[in-house]
Amino acid sequence: MSTLGLFDNDYDEDGFRRCSVTGLNVHRTVENLVKLFGLSAVVAMVIGGTFAFFVAMTRWEVIGLLEAQDYYVHLTLHAWNLLIFWMVFMEIAVLYVGGPMVLGRRLPLTALAKTGWVTMVVGAVLVNLGVWMTAPPDTAPLLTAYVPLTAHPWFYAGAILFILGAIVAAIPFFVTLWREKRGQPYKTLPLIAFGAFATSIIAFEALVGGLVTFVVAFLWRMEFIGWMDAAWYRHMYWTIGHSTQQINLAAMVTVWYFLTHVVGGAEVVSEKVSRTAFILYIFFINLGAAHHILSDPAVSTGWRIWNASYAMYGAAFASMIHAFAIPAGIEAGRRKRGLGGGLFGWLTSAPWNNPVFSATVFSIVLFGFVGGITGVVMGQLQVNMTWHNTFATVGHFHATVALGTTLAFMGLVYFVVRTMFLRRFVFDRLATLQPYLYAGGMGIATLMMLYAGLLYGVPRRTAEVVENIPGTEFNLAAAAPLFAIFGVFAVIAILAGAAFVLVAVASILVGERVDGTGSDADIVPDGGATVDEDDPVHAYEMRGTFLLCLLFLAVFVASYVANWYLLTELWSVGL
Amino acid sequence: MTSPLKPPDGNWWNQPINRREGIWLGLAGTWSVIIFGWMSGFTRFGDQNPIGETYEVSASEFQDKFSEYEDSAEETDAGLVPPGDDVYIAGIRFSWQGTPVVLETGREYDFHLSSLDVQHGFSIRPEHALSQQMNFQVLPGYEWVLPMEFDEPGEYHIICNEFCGQGHRTMHGRIVVRDS
Repeated sequence: MSTLGLFDNDYDEDGFRRCSVTGLNVHRTVENLVKLFGLSAVVAMVIGGTFAFFVAMTRWEVIGLLEAQDYYVHLTLHAWNLLIFWMVFMEIAVLYVGGPMVLGRRLPLTALAKTGWVTMVVGAVLVNLGVWMTAPPDTAPLLTAYVPLTAHPWFYAGAILFILGAIVAAIPFFVTLWREKRGQPYKTLPLIAFGAFATSIIAFEALVGGLVTFVVAFLWRMEFIGWMDAAWYRHMYWTIGHSTQQINLAAMVTVWYFLTHVVGGAEVVSEKVSRTAFILYIFFINLGAAHHILSDPAVSTGWRIWNASYAMYGAAFASMIHAFAIPAGIEAGRRKRGLGGGLFGWLTSAPWNNPVFSATVFSIVLFGFVGGITGVVMGQLQVNMTWHNTFATVGHFHATVALGTTLAFMGLVYFVVRTMFLRRFVFDRLATLQPYLYAGGMGIATLMMLYAGLLYGVPRRTAEVVENIPGTEFNLAAAAPLFAIFGVFAVIAILAGAAFVLVAVASILVGERVDGTGSDADIVPDGGATVDEDDPVHAYEMRGTFLLCLLFLAVFVASYVANWYLLTELWSVGL
Repeated sequence: MTSPLKPPDGNWWNQPINRREGIWLGLAGTWSVIIFGWMSGFTRFGDQNPIGETYEVSASEFQDKFSEYEDSAEETDAGLVPPGDDVYIAGIRFSWQGTPVVLETGREYDFHLSSLDVQHGFSIRPEHALSQQMNFQVLPGYEWVLPMEFDEPGEYHIICNEFCGQGHRTMHGRIVVRDS
């Protein structure tokens, strides 16, 4: 393949080349499939991002761009393209990087990887077409396709194909690990490979659950099954509905470890602690899907409390471990290189002009402070009553996936452009600014969603409610100022998303090719990519990180207390 | 060796943990247990819990119960006045059957919530304080009995916050709460 020169790096006769930035031995098969999945993800992102404009401009009711019927179709396409297709294509690429690329192996069964890709593409196209062709009695399925509302049959078929494709595309990753361990059973996997492996287990559970859900729903839609229980569907749907978001989280954390190391000079401060956190994810994180049915009938209280809390917060604890370990890795790693004096010198001296670095750091900070805290707080059984199906819920998952995962994946795409497509960035000033614009725009838009939901009870998934609720005098007009701010910053976020695509695609097509003679100073951390191996990293100071984590805990506790205070102000409800 | 791209050397499991990382683990673990404990405890001593009896019920069965309730309730200009402490509300595209309903403060009612067609979201707030809102999922096939006791008089508005079709945004109902 030599399409536009995208797939023709120089490899030796065995198909390997040594990456000058990471020092990894990269095989042609891995690199080309990572590029393929990465580019597919960006295409999905362009589609979903385009729909974001229509969705945001409708929710900003002063503009009120779309009629209700069109709004739900656009909202569905926004959700599926960004939350599912952009993420999952990218996650397959993460598996290939974390498995064969880090281990310096070729990708086995490339035919399967390609088959998986084709199946996923066909599935994604079917979902898009099916949703676009929605006609009565069907309705747009949104993300959830809650039974007994029906959607276009192509939607269910597309979802099934996409899930199957993702499973098939993941098989070469599992085979890679099988071969790696079979050859050297007592050799420890690198942390990135370990994180990718944890991600793949979480993913497999989610995909199998999704397959059961959508196959049954498809049969029901085709009238092979007469009746479906709404509670059973919700229960089953969320095994994939939220567990896919846990894949995003585990993949994102793995990417954090990877990118902070290769561009920030971070090290692993404790292999034991970080790996234990991944193990906790494997055991507990998928239980958390139960928090979607906290404000539901039909499930018992004990079941809700145990599962929605990830079995006494086993997974939240794991995230708090990473919240310390990753910044501490940056701090200790940079102190070791002599790149940071005082409390925060390691941070102020960091490569803030490098979009790979800034995107990763914003991802970490915003995911933790906004996404993580809101997720745990709203996942408390009683607090959930004040969040369930409000716009604040939308705020929470924009903080996790639009700020957290998307920013981390943007950083990863930049890294792939620079080190696998081997192109320097065109519009490098725009590239430097892009993560700041996106984090700022999306961050403020997200906060407005949270406030609108919590302070005014504005519902999610509705075309019109603030200016006017048809058929009644009552409205939520008090929330209008928040939506004005939301609308403006949503536009900024969408433009920043477009800037990301422009920089990435233009660089791939016309960027200056890196031929190995120039320097890598633009991408590697100061002092080079190598570290002194005999110098124990845990002995270095982590004061700055500790202070930041205490600040995080203070915000966490304050948010928790505030939410509970508001809850206890309500009238009494429940047994 | 502390690169995440390479296998760790030697006995990495027994590497010491930085003191501050150890303290953080303790703080994070303690906080996790506290929030779990508070949430569980609140089901015993708290006044706001999304907990009520659930019964499987077909749409026609619930319709029958609802009709019986409606027949025995008193119709006034302000809305239905329930005969006893039971209040039936049925979601059906695109209205809340059984509203407007007139209730008294300081009296505990059993709300019987169900849907006669698709899933709906029972989202309720008083007009005088929009931030004081509660939201419950309403499922077809299930009757959820939630006790509620209002302590402030006023107009309470119910909107649907689960997508239920094209007219979803118009689905609105009222509860009038009067001083007892």
